[in-house]
Amino acid sequence: MSWWAGLLIGLQEIREHKFRSFLTMLGVILGVASLIAMFALTAGIANSWRNTMQQVGGLERVGIVDKQVSQDKADLAALSPGRTLADAEALKAASNLISHVAPELSAAATLSAADGETVSCRLTGTWPDHQVVTRHQLAQGRFITSLDVDRGNRVVVLGNKRVKELWPDEHDTDAQYVGRIISINGRPFTVAGVLQLYEREEDKQARRIAQEGGRRPGRLAIASGMGRRDPFRWKNDSVIIPLTTLYHEFRSGQLNTPPLAMVRLDQLNFRVRNVEQFDEAIAKAESLLNRTRRGMDDFDFDTREDWFERMESSLRATKLSGGLIAGISLLVGGIGIANIMLASIAQRVRELGVRLAVGARSRDIFLQILAESTVIGVIGGFLGLGAGILLLELLGLVAPLESPPVIEPSSILISVGFATAVGLLSGLYPAWRASRLDPISALRYE
Amino acid sequence: MQTADPPPPAVCIRDVRKVYQTGSEPVAALDGVSLRIDSGEYVAITGTSGSGKSTLMHLIGCLDTATSGEIAVAGHDVSRATSDQLARLRNRSIGFVFQAFNLLPRLDVQANIALPLVYAGVRARERQRLAREAAAKVNLTERLSHRPTQLSGGQCQRVAVARALVNDPALILADEPTGNLDSANGADVLRLLSDLHKLGRTIVLVTHDPDIAAQAPRVIELCDGHIIKDEKS
Repeated sequence: MSWWAGLLIGLQEIREHKFRSFLTMLGVILGVASLIAMFALTAGIANSWRNTMQQVGGLERVGIVDKQVSQDKADLAALSPGRTLADAEALKAASNLISHVAPELSAAATLSAADGETVSCRLTGTWPDHQVVTRHQLAQGRFITSLDVDRGNRVVVLGNKRVKELWPDEHDTDAQYVGRIISINGRPFTVAGVLQLYEREEDKQARRIAQEGGRRPGRLAIASGMGRRDPFRWKNDSVIIPLTTLYHEFRSGQLNTPPLAMVRLDQLNFRVRNVEQFDEAIAKAESLLNRTRRGMDDFDFDTREDWFERMESSLRATKLSGGLIAGISLLVGGIGIANIMLASIAQRVRELGVRLAVGARSRDIFLQILAESTVIGVIGGFLGLGAGILLLELLGLVAPLESPPVIEPSSILISVGFATAVGLLSGLYPAWRASRLDPISALRYE
Repeated sequence: MQTADPPPPAVCIRDVRKVYQTGSEPVAALDGVSLRIDSGEYVAITGTSGSGKSTLMHLIGCLDTATSGEIAVAGHDVSRATSDQLARLRNRSIGFVFQAFNLLPRLDVQANIALPLVYAGVRARERQRLAREAAAKVNLTERLSHRPTQLSGGQCQRVAVARALVNDPALILADEPTGNLDSANGADVLRLLSDLHKLGRTIVLVTHDPDIAAQAPRVIELCDGHIIKDEKS
């Protein structure tokens, strides 16, 4: 007898006992459903994290942060000038490894438009490289240029939300803002450019749905009403002017202000030219900064790699706990299958005796029982797949997910594969028991 | 002109013993039995309960092996056969008819008849054809798609006979085939066996009932593990 014939007998057996077979499969169904749901949720989270990371600068973006100097140099710490423009200039020297350098100064400011509102904000003074380092996209106009920086021009690039705050009455999406004059702390600035609106994929979808007539208002209301942290808020809230302009207009007037070259920068970020040479770039930056910091190790690198690792490890933990739960339900499912198979063999001793009498070998009986339990596992796996998809849909309706779940082909393969293996393994013992039946006593069995 | 070799005897048993170990005392169910059944014979094996006739039937039916002695079925030595070899012989050389019909309730008549062919590796289309042929021999062509529960006892036993015939065995082994039937249906089944014998089939009928045994041309009676009578009428 072939596997094929065994499978047919197995299918027939399952069709004859639909309800019993369904109950038998239930454990496998639940196990696979939870596996699928867990895989899809974690894949969704990973996806949205990766997306977010790309939008805030990707792996190539590195920040320079302050660090406590090591103990043996503590009394010399004052020697280091800290994070200054000298660092930024030094980093530019390594242009083969570092493509862009963006120093930042910031200041609190009040914006007001003559024909609009007054808004308080945080002002960023930076270099043109800032656009690349933070991956800014322009909706209108241009970014600040090196000419702006050299001359200390009074130009400003506004984040998308700032524009809406300044001119809330202008709903027209085609409204042109470039060339308008706004006042920053009382000084006139010309709007040079407006940044694109940054939003997460799901927010974009929610907005689109709302625009189409709000077919799912409940979901939108919850999504926007939860006050979740928006990773792009700082980008949309940007007010960017040339670094020199910020220094001269808003800093230099104050008491005890050091010259520009000595001012402590609020942020200093750079972009690695090539991710493959990431470690070389960091090493080079370190040696350059050691010189400007006069040997004080009072700086550190904030890389997205760390971020990526944190993300991966937290995803791993989620997967592990989810996998454990799914694994336990699959195990329970397997025990269920073995149990039912043993019971069904006891019920069918006579049938097996007849099969033996007409020429079935013990391996045919073994195959028949094994095929039956495997078929249960496979069908359970596919039903579980359906149940998992349903579960995700349901979850999306009841509580909208921050990151839409993604069902990857590999997770389908793994889940259904597990179910098949569970069916196969749990059939081994019952199949062995059945194959050991003696035809004479099996035929006499009442 | 060369004549074909005569077919081997359907069953050839020489000095067979079968000992069961029940408790500490070994019990010899068969104690030195020798027997030859030629191809085309119709033999009834009879005896009271405990006479050893069931044990003899199991040995002839390749369901069990002897403790000592030699057994050949359809020319194959089965004295020291493995369980797989026995299964193959049961599949190719023996057709069973049981007292309790032993049809599979979830299969229809045609699939029940074709069951031995599944294990012989016969393809589905060919199985169908052979099952129809066998059903025709027992006049059941109209019931092929019925399930055993939809048939009368007599019809069930005819299905069982068709199943025993389907792989063209050297020997049909009927174990109390009338035991679960009323006298009319019982007589019907015996007539069927007798008809098959007339067509050249070898038939071994095991029964405790001397009247039924008397219908066979040759009657072998067992008592306490010995053959006490072997008569041809």
